[in-house]
Amino acid sequence: MSPFPLRMAWRETRAAWRHFLYFFVCIALGVGALVGVGLFATSLEQTVIREARALLGGDVEIRTSRALSPQGRAVLESLESRGIAWIHVSELVAMGAAADGATTATQIVELKAAPEEYPLYGKLVTEPDRPVGTFLPEQGSACAPSPCWGALVQESLLIRMGLSVGDTLKIGQARLKITGLVRKEPDRVANAFSLGPRVMISRRALAASELIQPGSRVQERYLIKVPPGTVPQRLVAELRGRLAGDSARIRTYRDAQPMLKRFLDQLARYFGLIGLTALFVGGIGVAATVQAFLREKLHTIAVLKTLGADSKVVMQTYLLQAMFLGLIGSVAGVGLGLGLQAWLPSLANRLFPSPLLQQIDLTSVLGLAAALAIVKGVALGLLTTLLFAIWPLLAVREIRPALVFRREVSSGLGLAATEQADGRRRWLRMAGLDDLPRAGIAAALAVSLAGLAIWQAGSLTVGLLFIIALAVAVLLLSGAAWLIVRGLARVPAPTSLVLRQAVRNIHRPGSQAAGVMVAIGIGVMVIVAVSLMEHSLIHHVGKSRPSDAPTFFFIDIQPDQLDPFVRLMEREVGIAPKMTPLVRSRLFAVDGVRVALDEESSQAQQRRREGRTRWYFTREYKLTFLDSLPEDNTLVKGAWWPRDEVPGRSLVSVEEEAADHLGVDIGSVVEFDIQGATVAATVASIRHVDWGSFSTNFYMILSPGSLKGAPYTYVGTIRVPPEKEVPLQQAVVGAFPNVTAINIGEVLDTFARILDRLSLAIRSVAVFCILAGAVVMATALAATRYRRLYESVILKALGATRGMIARGFAAEYAVLGAVAGGIGVGLAAALSWGVLYFFLDVPWLFQPDVLLGGLAWTVGLTVAVGVLSTFYILGRRPLPVLRQE
Amino acid sequence: MISVRNLVMRLSAGGHPVTILNDVSLEIPPKQVVAVMGPSGSGKSTLLGLIAGLDRPTSGRIMLDGVDITDLREGEMARYRREKIGYIFQSFHLIPTLTAVENVAVPLELRGDADAPERAARLLQDVGLKDRLTHYPVQLSGGEQQRVALARAFACHPSILLADEPTGNLDSTTGRQVIDLLLGLNRDHGSTLVLVTHDSDLAAQAERVVVLCDGRVESDRSLAFPPRPSGERRP
Repeated sequence: MSPFPLRMAWRETRAAWRHFLYFFVCIALGVGALVGVGLFATSLEQTVIREARALLGGDVEIRTSRALSPQGRAVLESLESRGIAWIHVSELVAMGAAADGATTATQIVELKAAPEEYPLYGKLVTEPDRPVGTFLPEQGSACAPSPCWGALVQESLLIRMGLSVGDTLKIGQARLKITGLVRKEPDRVANAFSLGPRVMISRRALAASELIQPGSRVQERYLIKVPPGTVPQRLVAELRGRLAGDSARIRTYRDAQPMLKRFLDQLARYFGLIGLTALFVGGIGVAATVQAFLREKLHTIAVLKTLGADSKVVMQTYLLQAMFLGLIGSVAGVGLGLGLQAWLPSLANRLFPSPLLQQIDLTSVLGLAAALAIVKGVALGLLTTLLFAIWPLLAVREIRPALVFRREVSSGLGLAATEQADGRRRWLRMAGLDDLPRAGIAAALAVSLAGLAIWQAGSLTVGLLFIIALAVAVLLLSGAAWLIVRGLARVPAPTSLVLRQAVRNIHRPGSQAAGVMVAIGIGVMVIVAVSLMEHSLIHHVGKSRPSDAPTFFFIDIQPDQLDPFVRLMEREVGIAPKMTPLVRSRLFAVDGVRVALDEESSQAQQRRREGRTRWYFTREYKLTFLDSLPEDNTLVKGAWWPRDEVPGRSLVSVEEEAADHLGVDIGSVVEFDIQGATVAATVASIRHVDWGSFSTNFYMILSPGSLKGAPYTYVGTIRVPPEKEVPLQQAVVGAFPNVTAINIGEVLDTFARILDRLSLAIRSVAVFCILAGAVVMATALAATRYRRLYESVILKALGATRGMIARGFAAEYAVLGAVAGGIGVGLAAALSWGVLYFFLDVPWLFQPDVLLGGLAWTVGLTVAVGVLSTFYILGRRPLPVLRQE
Repeated sequence: MISVRNLVMRLSAGGHPVTILNDVSLEIPPKQVVAVMGPSGSGKSTLLGLIAGLDRPTSGRIMLDGVDITDLREGEMARYRREKIGYIFQSFHLIPTLTAVENVAVPLELRGDADAPERAARLLQDVGLKDRLTHYPVQLSGGEQQRVALARAFACHPSILLADEPTGNLDSTTGRQVIDLLLGLNRDHGSTLVLVTHDSDLAAQAERVVVLCDGRVESDRSLAFPPRPSGERRP
């Protein structure tokens, strides 16, 4: 390439940089969103890597659903001689009640019993700031007459129960004095869903609570810290051999972190795709700017051609200029992204109710990984500029130098001719079929756009799906916009001068109304679709639950508490609860093949069992035994065992999806590990389960008698009127301190809150799409400013008032917004329906308020942007403008 | 040597076909100064534009120095024009975003000359604009703009110079100065000059006058006196 295009590009930019202000902003917004999200994800990921030990709680974690056997414990104790330290932490859900009658409030809590040495890594942040050990010991005379222990609690517990530090709490049989607040807990992450606030106590206090009984729902964790020189991986291999009898999951901090990383990665990728949408919307602005710029440059290009520049040189010149501007925009975008990233953590902390982010010390590190996110953002910005600028620049080839001496004749006038080409040729032209280079570039464009999406999505399927969805949306939007613009040209002109002018401005040749409608429509579509999905989901899960759905799940009811519990229910509310026996187990073997609990222990097995399937193999199964098929279940294969007749051997009925993933069929033998004992059962039937029914449902139901001798507990479900909820919960906690009451309403509220925050987070990123759309509109209006100015002064010269002209403009922008909003909202409805129907299996809910709200906001936005962009025209006096012409 | 054979140009204006040039043939030997005259719409400017390869004729051939330019592709034509042809417009057609010196440098830069800015500055000095190098077109008077255009047209020493009513937008005094400069430069460079004009005084300074009417050659005559800059005294 000769240096000429470079020089010429620089001169053109120097002269016309004001024209390109919107160009910068279009690119900067998209790149800003991408870089901001990218940097945020990077710093999260780096934190996860750096804090990996603290997040797991040790170098190695042993996790079981019951305490290790004496032999297992002896194994751990034997490690101490090698300088390996270990602690035992228990986590369970329990009910807290205010002791000493301070209040009658009861509250579900997440209890954690830890020794003084906790945590091995990271820091437990407490208030006041003291070592953990000082908070938790027995409190001597402080709570005479009966003994009590110290407890650290999360502040939300105090708020919900109306207590304060120094008050006493009763959990199980233990009395606990609240001695301080826990602010940050290093190993309490990754569970976005928490049932209640944290209460941390000593191991002795846990023993005193008597909460841990056979079959209780508890998570036992043994955290291990190895001295320097010991390889955690090797220790894990050793422990897996030595603790084989305890069916424990053993993993190092290195194994634990990929899960969290994957989750954060995916989150970042989806946000990134919304950022990419914003960038593509900005791309429309780039195309509009380049097109408008070329129209102004027709003359210069023709002169350049008479001086001997060919189309290639001219295209190089303007492409270089576009890339230069794209680079500046991208760099500005990086600045915006850095600002966004500094502000995102605090926003995210406010948005997410989960302890996920609050528990991590997020620090922004501008290291190599951050540089990568920045470089990626700039590269995406430049590529988008290139892709969207090259299309309008192809028109350069059609500009003939003859233009300079023959303006008035319609043949060979380049762009002017393009716009006036008859309908059929234009379709061919739009399809790129009349012109091979154009078709080639169109193909390259499509491939590059898909490539960008795949790059950002990090997945071929997701990237392709995204680009196809976007393409369909753009096609539908532009098709509808085109139809409406054409339709406006056909309807008889309104009699009102103001309206006529507004309609004409939309459908006149060279109007960029269709592009503006597409750009704004996409943003509206994303935001409204997310809102619609959120509302439909919440409605489906919450308000549409069957009228006979239970109010409470009571868990951990011991067998000897069964009769007193039922009697208490009948006394308190006059209704008998539904009681279901429950045994906690894991899969031990399927058709004689041992199931590996630890993901990496069998590479081959792991490869075969990706994602969901692996989950079916390694999850905890709650088993029950029933003599008849539950109401919400239907058999799809096999037969139910005969009623009132204990079969000779153990039979099991498997839920259909589980059967599918586990690869079992009628006659297969499934073996369960129930607290160290194995129970084998033959598959007798396969069931379909309606999971939305809010009853106790099971993947695995065994025949009566199969679980004889297994440590089971009961789950009680009951539906009570709202006014009896609180008294009933208090009565149960009072009589059965070990029983946990889960209020479905509260769980649903938590779910709705999480969904709401997530939706808000997505919508806040999607705001970038709307902003980009608004900038595209401002761009298109800027391109017509001279024509508008000229028209408005002529109208003024003919006697129009400023108000009339302003009303005309406002009417035009309102029509534009109504059309863009209408199409965007319509597509949002279709998109949300599709996602709900095909992916989530949830009925779509008609929400006129969301739809109309989306439309109204869009009209408001377009009128505001339009008026701001063209306000200055109204004040211009006619004479100086006309004299210039 | 410019050779135009049976040139026809038809265009559509508002959907109606209009014949602009109708079977025009012309031979112009090297270094000749030719004035093309005729009423408005007679096809003068179109003829000049076609000779420069700025558009394609409906039929007929144009040969420049033995090269048939009628079938050259756009890129080839652009390169040919860059080397061989200088063009001067009635309305100057300077690029508004470039300074005077940059405007003159464009054809040199397109050719890849390393010293384009210096040569452009010298050319501007030759047309008496050495104090206007960094002015933009809007900061120059009409006569100054046309002088910049002259410098630009001569920048690559073209063998053919085409001038389309170069004084049409200038007052008579300024127009005279520009013409003197044009003829003087042309004599120095030894180019073939084809000049479209309405001005018979100006045409009188050419060696040959071709008159077009309704797209046909109405008359073609050589003048007795060779051209002289009007500043020189005639005997």
